[in-house]
Amino acid sequence: MQEYVLKTNQISKKFKGHTALDKVNLSIRKGSIYGFIGQNGAGKSTLIRMVTGLAFPTEGMIELFGASDEWALIQARKRIGSMIESPALFPHMTASENLEANRILRGIPGRDCVPRMLEQVGLQEAGKKKAKNFSLGMKQRLGLAIALLGDPEFLILDEPTNGLDPMGVIEMRELLKRLNRELGITIMISSHILSELHLMASHYGIIHRGVLLEQLTARELNDKCQQYVFIKVDNPDMATAVIQNELGTADFEVMQDGAIKLYSCIEQPGKLSSLLFSAGLEIEKFMPMGEDLETYFTKRIGGNSHV
Amino acid sequence: MYNLIRVEFFKLRKNRSFWTLLFAISVLSLVYPMLYYFDHRSSGEPQFTGAQFLLTFISSNAYVIKFGVAVLAGFFISNEYSTGVMKTIASSGNTRGRLFAAKLIVFAVGAMAISLVFPIVSTVEVSLLSGFGQLPEGSSVLFLSRVLGLTLLYTAGYAAIGALFTVIFTDSGKTIGFSMIFFLMIDMALAAVGSKISFFATLYDYSIFKLVGDIGKPSIDSGDLPALLLVPLLTFVVVGMLGILVFRRKEIK
Repeated sequence: MQEYVLKTNQISKKFKGHTALDKVNLSIRKGSIYGFIGQNGAGKSTLIRMVTGLAFPTEGMIELFGASDEWALIQARKRIGSMIESPALFPHMTASENLEANRILRGIPGRDCVPRMLEQVGLQEAGKKKAKNFSLGMKQRLGLAIALLGDPEFLILDEPTNGLDPMGVIEMRELLKRLNRELGITIMISSHILSELHLMASHYGIIHRGVLLEQLTARELNDKCQQYVFIKVDNPDMATAVIQNELGTADFEVMQDGAIKLYSCIEQPGKLSSLLFSAGLEIEKFMPMGEDLETYFTKRIGGNSHV
Repeated sequence: MYNLIRVEFFKLRKNRSFWTLLFAISVLSLVYPMLYYFDHRSSGEPQFTGAQFLLTFISSNAYVIKFGVAVLAGFFISNEYSTGVMKTIASSGNTRGRLFAAKLIVFAVGAMAISLVFPIVSTVEVSLLSGFGQLPEGSSVLFLSRVLGLTLLYTAGYAAIGALFTVIFTDSGKTIGFSMIFFLMIDMALAAVGSKISFFATLYDYSIFKLVGDIGKPSIDSGDLPALLLVPLLTFVVVGMLGILVFRRKEIK
């Protein structure tokens, strides 16, 4: 039987006639990295805020570590670390003092966790620097260090890579993967950088206009992402004629630059390339490809919308 | 609860606004008696003694309390909404009631510290310059401790109101602005309404806004003492509970 750290049951949130969340049934398995995807205003932060106790559902129920009544939910939140929308820091305090304040708040014994957390996020040299003097990337790291205090079992991160430089993004990804792999921390992560999510998430939830459209595993996503062969030849018209006449399919797309995306008959790329070659076409590019998460997401929400 | 109070004290200790307020009021408390001292010296009038100064100017301390509570409420509590720290606090696995109670207690302690600066610093300074002198006839020997004790109690009452405003406004500027206006206007408003409707006149008579003026009375009738003690206590408890109720329903953005 699968163990879930979070389940929402028909959860809805309405603000003055506007439905921010509509009967969402979301579930996150223990040990997974759950990529939560949606456009701005789709309801991601609203749901995260309800899970962390910052907002209250209009209808429905939240189950956290199997607890669903009010008191048990509050207790269960002690097992969560979160960073919501932006790192929550005392600007006039140093990084160490910020961690110390949160350590006391959570009743964590011993001060040794403070330097350990700073080291874990690569801020060991900045412990005495005031948070207001931090770059956005450093603030994100400190926010993550605060979320990691007390060794949470479930980490909820809303846009954790905001403001990080490319190396910082890679380091953050590796850190999160390591926390998940070595400590078994379940992670829920919402991000606009879908390519980044694609590299770490084991499960996905796609939310659009307050409705959870789909939940799927990384394997299911890979299966669903449409495969095609990308063809670039010197004469696209002749190539399409060859594909239609010889393969008997019109399931292709000709791009503006003349490149062709062929969605059918892609199991035998060797036969296809031979056919094109035999027709006297000069093949510039010929690559089997698959759609990425971004394309899948865009198709799933039905348009050219941006995340 | 112990951890929550500890962390609030940690934050208060690190709060620059708190120390700035303490410092600024200390400086003003030193400068204010000096103005009288030099004025009286040049005009040849007899100098205030410490006891006379305290009796004459303790009522002015109400303004320090109101100002201190308003500013500290804005920078110590409301500021946590704008920095986002309130999100971490509210999601820490503690009940909203406990979170608010811990904040209120430590905020009240901070405001109390501010409220004692003027009476203590000024009285000590004047006493050093001109001696403490004698308390007027009829004043109890416990006058000093009573004045300071009541100052603390009334500050706690004001702090509860200030803390309630922080939950309602969740913004430093709005909290400070509204608190200042409220504390300065409430006397006039209640007195004006009270002149038309007797209930409000009674309400005003038994409110901290009116009774704070009685803190420095040289002698208090034994019949008045319970009201003088109970009103700030009840204000602290009732407004504190109201604050908890509002905070429990508050969605934190």
